[in-house]
Order: sequence, then C-alpha cells, then structure tokens
Amino acid sequence: MKIQFILNGMPAETEAPQDKTLLNVLRENFGLTGTKEGCNVGECGACSVLIDGRLVNSCLTLAAQASGHNIVTIEGVHLPDGSPNDLQQAFIEYGAVQCGFCTPGMVLAGEALLAQNPQPTRQDIRTAIAGNLCRCTGYQQIVDAIQSTAQNRQEKKGHA
Amino acid sequence: MPEFQFIGKPTDRVDAMEKVLGSAKYVGDYALPNMLVARTLRSTLPHARILKVDVSAALKIPGVVAAITCEDFVDHSRFGYPISDMFMLAYLRVRYAGDGIVSLAAENEDALDRGLKAIQVDLEELPGVFDPMTALDPATTIVSEHSRDATEDPRGNLLMHYIVRKGDPQRELALCPVTLEEDYSTMHQEHAYLETEGVLAVPVPEKNGVTVYAPCQSPFINRGNLVRTLGLSEENIRVIQPHVGGAFGGKDDLMYQISGQAAKLALITGRPVKMILSREESMIASYKRDAMQMHVQLGADADGKLRASKIHATVDSGAYSSITPFTAWRSTIHAMGPYRYDACHVDTDAVYTNNGYAGAFRGFGNTEVCFALEQAMDELALKLKIDPIELRLKNCLRPGDTTPHGQPLGDDVSLAECLEQVRKISDWKHKHTDYSRVAAKPLIPGEFRRGIGVAAVFHGMSLGAEGEDFAVGTLEINQDLSITLTSGLTDYGTGSRTVFTLIAAEMLGLNPERFSMPRPDTDQSFDSGPTVASRATVLGGNATRVAAEKLGLQLNQSAADLLECKVEEITRHGELFISPKEEPVSFEEVVNHAREMGLTLTSRGRWSPPKIHWSMETGQGKPYFAYHFGAQVAEVLVDTGTGKVEVTGFWAVNNTGTVIFPQGAFGQLYGGITQGLGYALMERVDYDNGYIQATNFDEYLIPTALDVPDIVGAFVEKTFSSGPYGAKNLGEPGLVPAAPAILNAITNATGRRIRSLPANLERVLLGKDLRKEGSSTACKLGLK
Repeated sequence: MKIQFILNGMPAETEAPQDKTLLNVLRENFGLTGTKEGCNVGECGACSVLIDGRLVNSCLTLAAQASGHNIVTIEGVHLPDGSPNDLQQAFIEYGAVQCGFCTPGMVLAGEALLAQNPQPTRQDIRTAIAGNLCRCTGYQQIVDAIQSTAQNRQEKKGHA
Repeated sequence: MPEFQFIGKPTDRVDAMEKVLGSAKYVGDYALPNMLVARTLRSTLPHARILKVDVSAALKIPGVVAAITCEDFVDHSRFGYPISDMFMLAYLRVRYAGDGIVSLAAENEDALDRGLKAIQVDLEELPGVFDPMTALDPATTIVSEHSRDATEDPRGNLLMHYIVRKGDPQRELALCPVTLEEDYSTMHQEHAYLETEGVLAVPVPEKNGVTVYAPCQSPFINRGNLVRTLGLSEENIRVIQPHVGGAFGGKDDLMYQISGQAAKLALITGRPVKMILSREESMIASYKRDAMQMHVQLGADADGKLRASKIHATVDSGAYSSITPFTAWRSTIHAMGPYRYDACHVDTDAVYTNNGYAGAFRGFGNTEVCFALEQAMDELALKLKIDPIELRLKNCLRPGDTTPHGQPLGDDVSLAECLEQVRKISDWKHKHTDYSRVAAKPLIPGEFRRGIGVAAVFHGMSLGAEGEDFAVGTLEINQDLSITLTSGLTDYGTGSRTVFTLIAAEMLGLNPERFSMPRPDTDQSFDSGPTVASRATVLGGNATRVAAEKLGLQLNQSAADLLECKVEEITRHGELFISPKEEPVSFEEVVNHAREMGLTLTSRGRWSPPKIHWSMETGQGKPYFAYHFGAQVAEVLVDTGTGKVEVTGFWAVNNTGTVIFPQGAFGQLYGGITQGLGYALMERVDYDNGYIQATNFDEYLIPTALDVPDIVGAFVEKTFSSGPYGAKNLGEPGLVPAAPAILNAITNATGRRIRSLPANLERVLLGKDLRKEGSSTACKLGLK
C-alpha cells in the first residue's frame, strides 16, 4: 500500500506491505539506519522515533499507522548545516555515548521530554528514558546531558 | 604528578559525533546490491545425535540459494581456543538447545523462513547433563568429546582442574577461634549488548577470498578461524570491524561461528551474505557468564586477623569449553580475595554440561568468586563483631606483601587507600552504625529499611599466565600532515581509540585532532592478541607509546638537522620545535625536511608486559604482572513487605593509576557498576533441562535508568610504573565488586543473608526462591 507522511520535515511517500513496521520502512525504504532494532518487542527503545512529537517504538508501529503523521528520526535532529544540535552536543560533552547503539533513541527520548517538560528534574529525566535501555553507560551521563541541555535552553529562552 | 598537555584533560570521544548524529554504521546498517540474507537452523534438543540432515527440499524452494553444514568446511569446521572443541556448524552431535546445524542463504526473509522449515534434520535425543554438581559422577552421560579423561579419569566431563596451594588450611582452620563455612552460587548472566550479533561477508573473486564485516572482540582470531575452517590463507581473508554495539566479552565464539557460516555461503554463492541475529536467536545461541557454585571456608583469630582460606568451586562451562579454561583459572587465582593468609587452598573444577555454554564476560571468573568471598568476609566480620571495612583494612594486601600465590607485590598496591577513601565519601561510619542498630530490632513486615555494604576487589591485569601477551600499534604521518594510528586491539564502545590517540598526541606533542584511527582491519593493523581481560589501556597504550617514541625520534632528528643543533637540544612548545639558537620551526617544516632526509615517518611499536609464570602442579607462581585494586560501597532501601530493593547510593574508588581519558574512565566505572547491579538484583538466565528461560528483554531484565542511582566515583591515581604514563586498566574491575557490595547492604538492612544470585523479590522477602518448574516453550518458539 501507499504510505505518505512528513519525514524529518519533508513530505515522503513509499510503497510497503500492510504488515511492514515503521522501523523496517524507515531503514529499508528510506535508508534511515540511525533507527536501530534491538529487541523487536518494544522493550529496548533502540528503535525510538517521534510521531507528532511523541516518543514511539517504531518496531511496534506499522508504517500504515504512521501514514499522515509527522515523523522525526535521529537523522532529523541535527542543525540545518549538519552539525549536532545542543542536545546531541551535550551527549558528546558529558560522555553519554559509548557503543552508540542506544544513542539515537536516547536523543529522541530526551527531545520528547524537553518538548513536553522544559524544566525536568533528574527523576523526570530518568522516568522519561526508562523505556530506553543502555548497557554501557550506567545512564547518569545521559541524565547529565539532558539536564544541562534543559538548563541551557531555559537560559536562552530567558534572554530572548 | 607531571603536567600533561592532553592526558587527563576533558576530551570528546573520537567516534561520538557520528554516533549522536545517527550516521555511525553498524553491521546491520550495511546493504549491498545482490545481497543474500542468511540464517542458521538450530537444535531444539539440548543433547542429541545427528542422524540425518537433508537440505534438498529446502533448496527447491524459490529464492533459497545455498545451504551448508559442517561437511562444507575443513575438518568438519572445528575451531576454538585454547581447546578446539567447537564447530562452525555441529558435527555428529548437538550439545545444547540452540547449537547450529545448517545455514541457509536466500534472496529474502520469506524464502529463508520457508527454506528453514523445509530442512529435514533427524535427531536422536541423548540424555543430558544439566546439574554441574553431578557432571563428574562416573555414571553420567559424557557431554564432552574427549576420551582423554575417560580412560585415565572416570570424570569424563571434567574440562579443567586448577589449584592454589599455600600451607595447610585444614590444620589452621582447626586452630582458628572464629571460622566460617558457607556455600554460595551465581548464575549465568547474559551480556545484553544492545546490538545483537551480525555479520556481512562479501566475496572477493579476484583474491579467491572473502571480506568479513564483523563486530567481534578480536578480528585476528576471527581471521585465524576462517583460515583454518575455510582452507584459505591469510591473504584471502580480510576481517573489518564496523562499529560494535556493545560486547562486554560476548562477541567472541558465536561471532566467529556466524562469520564462518556467512563467509562460506558468500564463497559458494559468489554474492554478499548478511546474517543478523534476532534478539531471541542471540539469547538462545550465545554464550553467557559461567554459573559457579562455591564452598568457602575462612578462619581468623579473635582480633580479626585472617589465618586460612579453603575454597572449592565448580564452574559450569556448558556444552563447549570456549574460554572457560581461562575463566576458571582466573577465578582460582582470585578466589581468596585481596587478603593475606597463613594458609590458602583453592580447587576449581570446570565441567561440561548441556546448559548452553559459558564464555567471556567482563570480569570473567573474578566477578563470580568475588561475590562469594566478599560476602564471606562480611559474614566473618559479623561473627567477629568487627566493622566490615576494618576487617578488610586489617587483612588487605599492601605494598611489599606477598600474595597467597607466592607473588611479591610492588608499590602500586593501593587497596587500603581505596577502602579508606570509599569509607569517607560514603559516610560509612555514621550510616553503618545507624543501620546496624535498626537491623538488630525485630522486623515489622512492610517497614522500609536501609542498609549499607562494602566489597573490595583485586583484578589481575591482562591475560596473565594464560597466554602470550603483547600488543602492536603503528603511526604514519600522511601527506596532509594528519597522522594515522592503528592498533590490533579494538574499541567496542570502551573508548580505547581515544585513549590511544591521547597517548600518541602527548608523546609527540601534537594536537589530538591530527590523529585518526581507522576501524580495526586485519589488512591494516597488526595482531595484538584478543581484546579481552582489560588489556587495552596498558597493552595497547604502551604499544602506541613505543610507536610514538620512535616516530618522535625521527621528527627530532629532522628538526635537529634543520636547526643545526643536536637532537638532545630540541625542546618543544606546542607543535613548535625549538633549538637553543635558531627561530622555532613548525611541525610542517619538520615533516617536509624529514621527507627530504629520506625518513619514513612511519613507526611500529610492540609491547609485552614483564614476565610471569604459573605452576599448575604446585599452585604457586606469579600469575599476573600487576593488579588493579578497588573498593565499593552500596546503600539500599528495602521494602520488607514486598522484597523490593532500591539501590539508593553507590560509591566506588578504584586504583586506576594515571587517568588518561577521564570521561571514558568514569563511563567504564559507572557502566560496570550498573551491570553489577543487574547481576545482583534482576538478571536471570535459568536453564531448565537445558532450555533457556528468557529469550528477550521482556523476560530478561537489565537495569533501566530508574534502577540505578547517581554513582559517585573516584580514582586513586598512584602512578603505575609499567603503565603508559602510569595508567592501569579499568574495563572489568568496576563491575566485579558491585554485586557483593549490594548483597552485603541487603543483609545490613534486613539481617537476612542471600547467598544465591540474583537477590530477587522472593529471596529478599522469604529467603528462598519461588520459581516454578521451567518450560521449554519460549526457547523452542525462539528457535522456530
């Protein structure tokens, strides 16, 4: 069937069988391999994407269900010039990246939280990323990165 | 401490940028034109004779392109180190539920599914051995293939027996006023790397060879196995390591098997072959941390001075040996902990069973025995009515001491500093007194109780007397003045590429931005042994240092020639080369002049650690060239109504020597502790009659962000003379003491001792496990 959505800010269209997951459509039809498969049962969050700003496991979402919606993958997060945005930069700075496999999902989990709650506590952040497993870092560097980004965005807003 | 330009300063991980942007390519992200997909049919029985394998019906299915069995390889595809008892695909027998039998390549997943279902395999089920404690009974079924022991030793399933011998602990124990005798057991642990195993094999017809993209621990071992089993030479095979989505020791044997399977299919079909394991297949087929059962006896004087230890351990190696010979040796060496004794005996039996198989996992061997010994120390402290940290300080190894193995220690030993520092930063004295007072009162079910616990660790560096130990690094200055750095040791998320870059930059006085490290590639780097056993910083770091020294000498020769002075007179400021008289010259000028002089501007450094030796017969020697030391404290909140344990605080002090890449060091420490927390409280791989009981993250729970507190880490940076710039390794020791520290804290809170892992709700609440009979359904479904 024909699937149409806004993908990383641009209208996108593809053909896919009805039972094909959004994860596989993103990876195979669009070559957006930043979205990872870790478990395929919705437990690990490596396949996280944003649908209309909400964090979703793309392995549990059929591409057809995403039709007509606004999808953001990790490839749609960076600045227009291709450099990392402030949250991605904070991930680098705070050591929130080790093997990197959970990183795309973690960044999107962070963005989803900050869009909804611009001043999260550390506990809010931990709750927001609890659906995204990381086996390398112990999480606190990820919490640090999201927290510092929240503070910086607040300060910038104050100045604006 | 000397002032460094780059070492110990805040630095970004060299590969972080592509990882945050989502552009870093892992093996599953590669797609080539004309590529086939492949999968392996795996045994649904834990132990069986293979009577017949017929792939003819499968090959008739449209889209199925090729099928292979062990008969398509040299010597039935046998490989394995140090004992060669594994196969790329099973030969004669399957020995665990999940053992591979046939690999199939097809045009697409649909054809693959149908093809796998059409394969006909006749298996004759054999009795299995599932309890390691009965594996050595003379009447038991033989799992292993060797008749070696069957003739001389009736214990045919004995893989290895190791000893440590000092004095006569039996006699000493009889004389000790305070003794302890307890049994402890650990269970298998799944690595749970977020990226499952996968491989892409691309035929290279002009070389009659194959290039294998494999996120494995050790590309050179992978190539060696492929050379042997495919009957090709080293020139025919290239192994490239793409980004690795976590390994933790787990990307060895199964990665080598699927590399062999995909490579063979690529050679037969002449097309690229990609094989990516589902999480279920990964968890069923992959090796685990070994499960151990330990019997511990300790004896002390009334004042708390340790006199004797006597330990017997049984290691479940499962169906194959993998690196259990190394794991079991490491546990034997570390079983008595970092303490002084008048007498000490350790005996370890590693046995074959039909429970999956065990292999390398961060801290291999030491994690298991540390769990037992550090709880035993706590139990002894309670009996002696001595503070647990005091008891450890009273007995811990110190500079100049001799270990129970007969090894004199150097001045790098700093366990006492670690213990004292962790006591301070965790506010131990105050909390331990308070919590112990509450714990002495009768428990009112439903009340919340706090507890605090400590554990100490020593961890032998690198391979030890297990094998030949060396690493090689190279440097080359390119035309554009960038510098290419290679190492045969790989970075699977640990940060070792950044460590090597910083060491080379520091030694050469050149900006780290000039350096780049290609992904490890057997065609472009040199064999450096396996990337295991916390080897990278010291072994690979020293090899990089040696290569940089050599390259630096060439640059100084050029600068001296250019500036008309002696080499010794050259000094440096930033990237400038300075002589006593002339104007300073730039790196570029020095490089250009060096090329005119005919200098190669390439270098290769090789480093081996100081000599070590071990006697299997006397159980004495110098097992490792040095040790890492550390101490950790955990604080818990226990809900005595439900048995839920929350780790509310964690403090860790590790003796790292000079910290080269602080962000990486903290990452290793926090990540290691988090895996230890999972090991302590929730991670559970049961094998029920050979069938694994958890096949995905819905059943196998690992810590989430809500399960881990903010950890406080600190390093004792006492310079280590054999380390590059005084550094020690850190990959494993952060994990090792975490579980016993947490278990000791639970006891401090509840007064109840849990001697089996994991400390789940039932064990904390009732003191026993409630798990019902297992089932083979999930495992069998996962194999469909």
